[in-house]
Amino acid sequence: MHPDTEKLINALRGLSLTVEACDYQQRGYHFAIDAESGKLRALAEVMLEHEMFLAFVGGLHVKPAIEIIYQFATYAGACRFVVRVAVAPDNSVPTISDIFQGANWHERETRDFFGVDFTGHPNLVPLILAEEDVDLKPLLKKEEALKDTAEVRWAAPVEAKPEVEKAEQG
Amino acid sequence: MPPELLRMIIAAVLVVAFVFLNAMVLGYMERKVSAHIQRRPGLMEVGPHGILQLLVDGFKLIGKQLVVPEGANRFLFRLAPILSFAPCVLPFVVMPFARKLQIVSMDISLIFILAMTSINVIAILVAGWASNNKYSLFGTFRSVAQAVSYEIPMLLSLLSVILMTSTFSLQGIIAAQKYYWFILVQPLAFIIYFISGLAETNRAPFDMPEAESELTAGFHTEYSGMGFSFFFLAEYANMFTVCSIATVLFLGGWKGIPLPLGDYTGIFWFMLKVYGLLFVMIWVRWTYPRVRFDQLMTFCWKYLIPFALANLLITAVLVKLI
Amino acid sequence: MEILAENRAVHADLEPAAPCSNHYYLNMGPQHPSTHGVLRVLLEMDGEYVVDPQPVLGYGHRMHEKMAEHKDWMAFMPNTGRMDYAAALPYNHGYVALFERLCGIEVPARAEYIRVITSELNRIVSHHLWIGAMLLDMGAFTPILYTFDDREQVLDILEDVTGSRLTYCYFRVGGVCKDIDDRFVEKTRAFIKRQRERFDIYNKLVTGNIIFIKRTEGVGIISPEMARRYGVTGPVVRGSGIAYDVRKNEPYSVYPNFDFDIPVGRNGDSYDRYMVRLLEMEQSLRIIEQALDQLPDGPFLGKVPKKLKMPTGDCSFAVEAARGELTYYLVSGGGDIPYRLKIRVPSYSNLSVLPELCQGMLLSDLVAAMGSMDLVIPEIDR
Repeated sequence: MHPDTEKLINALRGLSLTVEACDYQQRGYHFAIDAESGKLRALAEVMLEHEMFLAFVGGLHVKPAIEIIYQFATYAGACRFVVRVAVAPDNSVPTISDIFQGANWHERETRDFFGVDFTGHPNLVPLILAEEDVDLKPLLKKEEALKDTAEVRWAAPVEAKPEVEKAEQG
Repeated sequence: MPPELLRMIIAAVLVVAFVFLNAMVLGYMERKVSAHIQRRPGLMEVGPHGILQLLVDGFKLIGKQLVVPEGANRFLFRLAPILSFAPCVLPFVVMPFARKLQIVSMDISLIFILAMTSINVIAILVAGWASNNKYSLFGTFRSVAQAVSYEIPMLLSLLSVILMTSTFSLQGIIAAQKYYWFILVQPLAFIIYFISGLAETNRAPFDMPEAESELTAGFHTEYSGMGFSFFFLAEYANMFTVCSIATVLFLGGWKGIPLPLGDYTGIFWFMLKVYGLLFVMIWVRWTYPRVRFDQLMTFCWKYLIPFALANLLITAVLVKLI
Repeated sequence: MEILAENRAVHADLEPAAPCSNHYYLNMGPQHPSTHGVLRVLLEMDGEYVVDPQPVLGYGHRMHEKMAEHKDWMAFMPNTGRMDYAAALPYNHGYVALFERLCGIEVPARAEYIRVITSELNRIVSHHLWIGAMLLDMGAFTPILYTFDDREQVLDILEDVTGSRLTYCYFRVGGVCKDIDDRFVEKTRAFIKRQRERFDIYNKLVTGNIIFIKRTEGVGIISPEMARRYGVTGPVVRGSGIAYDVRKNEPYSVYPNFDFDIPVGRNGDSYDRYMVRLLEMEQSLRIIEQALDQLPDGPFLGKVPKKLKMPTGDCSFAVEAARGELTYYLVSGGGDIPYRLKIRVPSYSNLSVLPELCQGMLLSDLVAAMGSMDLVIPEIDR
């Protein structure tokens, strides 16, 4: 475990974020955070201060809004964070490429695949796709395949059956 | 036809034939030696142990289309290979293969050879400029800077020998090595000359102008067919010239254990020494990584030139005293 | 300085440099001897100096992540071997382990040992390829033939058991598809012995070579802080003195059973990255040796349902691939086909350092620095 995990968790709670501890054996990461896009940059700064590095940025097309997934890890031990940020109604998320420079390409790639606008990104031009394919957005799901956010999350209590959880959501 | 003219024509034909043959032998040698250094058999397909491969390659190159890139200066682009090849042939005219095997004997044959080999730089400059390709131009910049710099330590190291012999005639220098080879009294000059020779002929580890992993192929990126083969021939002819100067000035030229008809068979010893040096050149190429361009220049200006000057000075003093 | 800033702005639109400046653009790739495949680097040059290198990606893009959303795990399996073709088995490993973690599938001990042995062999093969390629970039033609000589030995061993020499598809959810036999063990032991003797040759030919040292020492220094900002992993970050290795940090499979070290560099330059990989090969040999000694008997493939029923939820699995941390992140909406599979490839983050790392460098240094990163472009493009 990361030596300063306690401090990091406290700092994140200081941003009034809920940090959910997860079963590593089951999920492969230690903590999950659902953050609003407004708090993303503050969160990234806290991560940078606490010796974390950005493993990747990826998108996830779900209803009601596309989610951007950030995974943070550390060189110092086993401590992995998954941060999910739902995009704002205008399909935008603030960039963190000035905090973690590694995010620069990940964000450009996510924009290629999902069409999400990373506000404040210095050079938001296509990276992987060619210029002419910029409207393709290959990872967006078709309407019939699109799922709700809750349908792709772990059922909250371990005993609860998926049906029960769906009913609660409904 | 006057006999002198006939002799000249025969000599010219022989020289050009020799240049082509030399390129083939060297090309074969390079590929075979490099193969064995790299623990593989190398050429094996055409002829026994692939000895005819270079002949086949030659025909292939002759048959290939000459592509002139768009936007290139057509005239200069075509001229450059010839400009590179022609002066490389001329040093063979004054080369003392044996006591009596020399087409023309000149008093200033050494200067003539050095002058002719220097023309190659102009050919590279023209080739790189006319190709209208950034990589070519890049290779040209490097090549010109390199060749001009390395000419200085090369001449300085040769000058040390000239001070001892007081002649520019190659036969005269060989005659001066009656009792010992000059490598014994001028080892530093020999080393400096040989290193400068590697740089002068653009051989690894100083193959900056054609550094393929950086500049694809440098100044001859755009050349195909015979255009390319002229550069190729010139490179091997230059290598031969550099090594034969080293042989004449430092290794006693055609001198060796006397053979019957010594006036002519000296060519055996001459060739043996030259190809021995060529083997070292090939060996170095397939062993070392390439140096960086600024390191190459630093090496020349900060190490080779001061050492060559010091060597020259000491030689001058000693020659005066003795 | 103003001209520089102006140039940058112009550059964003791939327009020619401003006429008043001495800068020009050099297009390195997509077909260039030292970009290993189809990477293109757009270089803004000032004479021999690189002012601004910008990698242009996507020439080998196949959209693996989309394919994963339309196939069950087995149908996507061959794709995993086609990202990092130089070291495909860790990619196999991460992928099957991901499903095992998500669905709670037990793997027999023998299968885990086989996975570790073959993965480490594959890591050695990958490093063989890299030594040769890096030295080739620097103008030394011979080392690649020596390392390929050794590489062939391993490829023969792996071919016997996996059926292929490059793009492996050997692991299965619940184990591996074919057991190893005595012949494999024997040949692997022979290889370990041979490889240990070969390090001597590498050191004589390359490590101690004065030109090689002069070309790599102090070239392309990645500081630990810079590595962290870019998410650099693998031998590149270990060269910077950070002992980060997923095999130790988040031990998976049976790696905790083995005693091995993580070599780290001091300065973070190209030479350190070279040394780290060279020493890593020895550590891989140690792991293989121990694994062969401890190799348990038993089945090589556990009981796995014909159709995997995935629970809904997300799951992540990180492994140490030959080039760094490889993470598969899967989001499942139930059923047997992933809803979304994100693949975090190490070279992607490693290469993203390039623009900052190589600013103001000589072109030759850029080639050496890029060579020391060990890039595999199809992995970056996916």
